[in-house]
Amino acid sequence: MTHLSRRELLRSAALAGIALPALSACATPSGGASPAAPAAGVTSAANPLGLVDSRPLEIWIFDGGFGDAYAKNIHEPLVKARFPKLEIKHNTTKEIAKTLQPRFAGGNPPEFINNSGANAMDFGALVQDGLLADLTPLYDAPSWDDPAVKVRDTINPAAIELGSYDGKPYVMNYASTVWGIWYSQKLFEAEGWQPPRTWQEFLDLCETIKKAGKIAPFTYAGKHPFYIYETILTLAAKIGGKDVLKNIDNLEDGAWKAEPVTQAATAFVELGAKYLLQGTAGLDHVQTQTAHNKGQVAMLPCGSWLENEQKDSTPADFGYAMFPLPDFGSSDALPYGTLHSRPGEEYVVPAKSANPQAGLEYMRAMLSKEGAGKFMELVSTLTVVKGAGEGRTLKPGLQSASAALAAAGDNVVWFLFRKWYVEMHDEVAAASGQLMNGKLTVAQWADRAQRKADSIKNDSSVKKFTR
Amino acid sequence: MAEAVIPRSRAQVRQERRRALGPFAALTHLALLAWTVLVVVPIVWTFLASVKSEDEIFGDAWSLPAVLRFDSWGRAWEQAHIGQYMINSVIVVACGTFGTMLFGSMAAYVLARYSFFGNRAVYLLFVSGLAFPVYLALGPLFFVVQNMGTLPVVGPFIGLGTHGGLVLVYIAYSLPFTVFFLAAFFRTLPGAVAEAAFVDGASHARVFFQIMLPMAKPGIVSVTIFNVLGQWNQYQLPLVLLNSDRQKWVLTQGIAEISTAAGYDADWSALFAALSMAILPMLVVYTIFQSQIQKGLTAGALK
Amino acid sequence: MNHGRTRFVTGFLSIPVALYLIYVIAPYAQAFYIALTDWRGVTATPRFVGLENFRRLLDDDVFWRAVGHNLLLLVLMPLLTVTIALFFAFLLNAGGRGGTGGVWGSKFYRVVFFFPQVLAVAVVAVLFQQVFRPDRSGMLNAPLMALGFEPIGFLSDTGVALWAILGVLVWQAVGFYVVLFSAGIASIPRDLFEAAAIDGAGGAQLFLRITLPLLWDTIQVGWVYLGIAAMDVFAVVWVMTAEQGGPDHSTTVMAAEVYRTAFGYFKFGYASAMGVVLFFFTIGFAALALRLSRRERIEF
Repeated sequence: MTHLSRRELLRSAALAGIALPALSACATPSGGASPAAPAAGVTSAANPLGLVDSRPLEIWIFDGGFGDAYAKNIHEPLVKARFPKLEIKHNTTKEIAKTLQPRFAGGNPPEFINNSGANAMDFGALVQDGLLADLTPLYDAPSWDDPAVKVRDTINPAAIELGSYDGKPYVMNYASTVWGIWYSQKLFEAEGWQPPRTWQEFLDLCETIKKAGKIAPFTYAGKHPFYIYETILTLAAKIGGKDVLKNIDNLEDGAWKAEPVTQAATAFVELGAKYLLQGTAGLDHVQTQTAHNKGQVAMLPCGSWLENEQKDSTPADFGYAMFPLPDFGSSDALPYGTLHSRPGEEYVVPAKSANPQAGLEYMRAMLSKEGAGKFMELVSTLTVVKGAGEGRTLKPGLQSASAALAAAGDNVVWFLFRKWYVEMHDEVAAASGQLMNGKLTVAQWADRAQRKADSIKNDSSVKKFTR
Repeated sequence: MAEAVIPRSRAQVRQERRRALGPFAALTHLALLAWTVLVVVPIVWTFLASVKSEDEIFGDAWSLPAVLRFDSWGRAWEQAHIGQYMINSVIVVACGTFGTMLFGSMAAYVLARYSFFGNRAVYLLFVSGLAFPVYLALGPLFFVVQNMGTLPVVGPFIGLGTHGGLVLVYIAYSLPFTVFFLAAFFRTLPGAVAEAAFVDGASHARVFFQIMLPMAKPGIVSVTIFNVLGQWNQYQLPLVLLNSDRQKWVLTQGIAEISTAAGYDADWSALFAALSMAILPMLVVYTIFQSQIQKGLTAGALK
Repeated sequence: MNHGRTRFVTGFLSIPVALYLIYVIAPYAQAFYIALTDWRGVTATPRFVGLENFRRLLDDDVFWRAVGHNLLLLVLMPLLTVTIALFFAFLLNAGGRGGTGGVWGSKFYRVVFFFPQVLAVAVVAVLFQQVFRPDRSGMLNAPLMALGFEPIGFLSDTGVALWAILGVLVWQAVGFYVVLFSAGIASIPRDLFEAAAIDGAGGAQLFLRITLPLLWDTIQVGWVYLGIAAMDVFAVVWVMTAEQGGPDHSTTVMAAEVYRTAFGYFKFGYASAMGVVLFFFTIGFAALALRLSRRERIEF
């Protein structure tokens, strides 16, 4: 490398009469002089958050299982009806981080982002850098339907808790996802199969299906091993209680080597060794779900977005339904019916956008009964808004998930390291794929996960979260 | 089979070829055909899959479609905006390559044939760029382009989300290879003609544009083709620099999006149709210009 | 003669050098500084941490695996591509005897072999993702399963996936070098072969004693170009593989790790440190390449 001093660079640039661009090239990361967040407009009963309708509202929706029609046809018209002068710019992408990360870096982020999908941005980093607007004003504002009731009182409190970092809400969790093992009611009725209640029954059912020889018993999206580590961790929590997952989230020493985690992993490895659809390791979620619809496989683990994601390729009378993970043993810490469920599908308002109040107002509209109810019908998923489903017609899969969630009551478990430390998720996914393919033993798998957890714990550049 | 070297008639050549069709020739053709199959079959298979039904795609890979369904092409065209992306790609690559060749050949010529203080340093600065992994610069590059966008007058044309900004970046990132290659080429050109022109009082610039550049044509053509292929392929840079405005996206961005799209939409035939649409024009253009392309590439590398 | 010389040199160099300094050198210079901080993307002032990132890199298994994969590709991709391309170029030119215009149909073969080269890498990656599908709908696995074999997880088996990547890279590159080398062979004067043949040299000897030495220059150029391409592999891995460089990091390359760390984990400081290491690898290769590609020619 030849060394040229900055002065020389500038002089040669000036010679050519381009001193100005040359100075532009010397932008340090902090050089993106970000404008201070614009002051809010005047608040009023009709406009409790004080949005300014002279500046546009730029919306980015993740184009995934839910598509983006719900924003275009339900929420945007709702806002537009109350603020006719507000210009709404609708955008959609499948690559949230790739597309929007540079906008944050440039200090000109949009007003509202549905930060979701495989390429979502790292919430921890966004919060750490103060890039997200505090949602407290939204939750304290009067609700869309009834000015006497605050927004926070119309929704599931877990949603606010889960979207909080260091005690402040930054992320709105809108849809409640329920995980379980999915099957076709039509197929099960035709064959006389019953959803299993104990692990032994589950294994027997797999054996029966395999013996019948028409169809593979079980599969998961091998290309995205999250689908299988999700079931392993849920079963671990069922065996050992809610603290199993809490310890994992909090990066506690030895959390991954706890007995319940090992037991659950062993159980799924044994199941996988015998009963997986051929080629599972190389299939992605769409391929396995399509195989499911085509009657090539009987069961797969998934979240309640499944029915909507597959709506175009599901046979009319397929009859999606799900069952919770069966009882592992008589000493399980949590009873039958325990579910992995939590408010998910995250939405954020970037603090440094030109019109953050408009983003908050848009959220307020989403949390209205109409906004949430129509959303439920359209994309076939549960929401965090209380009573949004009243008087709406729900598809069979959604009914099944909804009933399972009601039956679970307080026995609901979840983990958050996937949101907090994307690195941890990547490592556990990679190791879980190898575990299921027989390339790693359960001990080695737990070892790798634990090593990663320890290294994140010791990485001073990563902000830690606890729950 | 050494023969006397005399001009041979076409009939003689044909006769020779027929004679050459012995066992060795048969094996030759077998090997050549094998690779032809390797190249052609995946492409043809993609075209076929685009007109299959979902069930057929999910069934046996080697089954032929029962009915040709071109509706997937319509879906891909509408949802994936392949046409728009294609035009954008053509605009950006045309401008980018032209700029690269103009500025690259100017710099290479001066560095190759003029000795002045700092020549070696500037040359090395350019050539070291061959070793820069572009991923290292993406973040800061974003700021640079953003700041360029705040300049008076030209700002709106070269900032973020503009084709102009992308073209300038393409030019800058194509310079190392272009300068490296063309400088080597200019060094090998004989200097006699230029000397004569200087004696006749021609200016430096005139000698470059009217004498040296035409003499370097083989090298110019082949580097041009290299740059067209390279810039056509680029997808990191547009992803970062054209992020917000879909209307301005280039083809590779569209294709990358489609590849993730099949992961969510399960519209397999549309995926294959979009792929086919991305492949087809390239094959047509290449087939039309294949002899020039092959000549250009080889002339540059061989001379 | 010297009149206006300085002005000409400055004038001709100013625009290219300015563009290059603004868009290439300036960002890289900043990246070197960022590598010494724990910047996570967007904060006002990155915290300076000295060589902390590099210390951390030393025990980053995944990164070193990526380095290993790059080195493997750096050796194998040029080797395979050049060997296969030479073989076909030799066949096309009827046993390497120059000047005859090649075997019957050689023009057609050259055109078809070149096809993959004109397709964008992103397109090729998506295409092969479908070709490699692990079930009956995969082009390669369909006949295997029909014959009763287990399907091969081209992209899901950690022992196979990197070879699948290599296969795609070679598939795309070969055609270009076939064209290049066969043009090289065609430009060798016919009478050299004639003379050698009269001396009783056979096909193999002709190839070793005449074709190869006279092509050596061209082969070197090809080797350098392929080497740079091997260090830059990104799109194929990123678009085609599971877990973007998986399964279980078995196909990841340095560029993918830099990108993931920066845009996936928001660790711009750490990613820049990786980039700096990658930079020294490639600069080493480029220096080597410069030495090799001095254009010493055999005149004929």
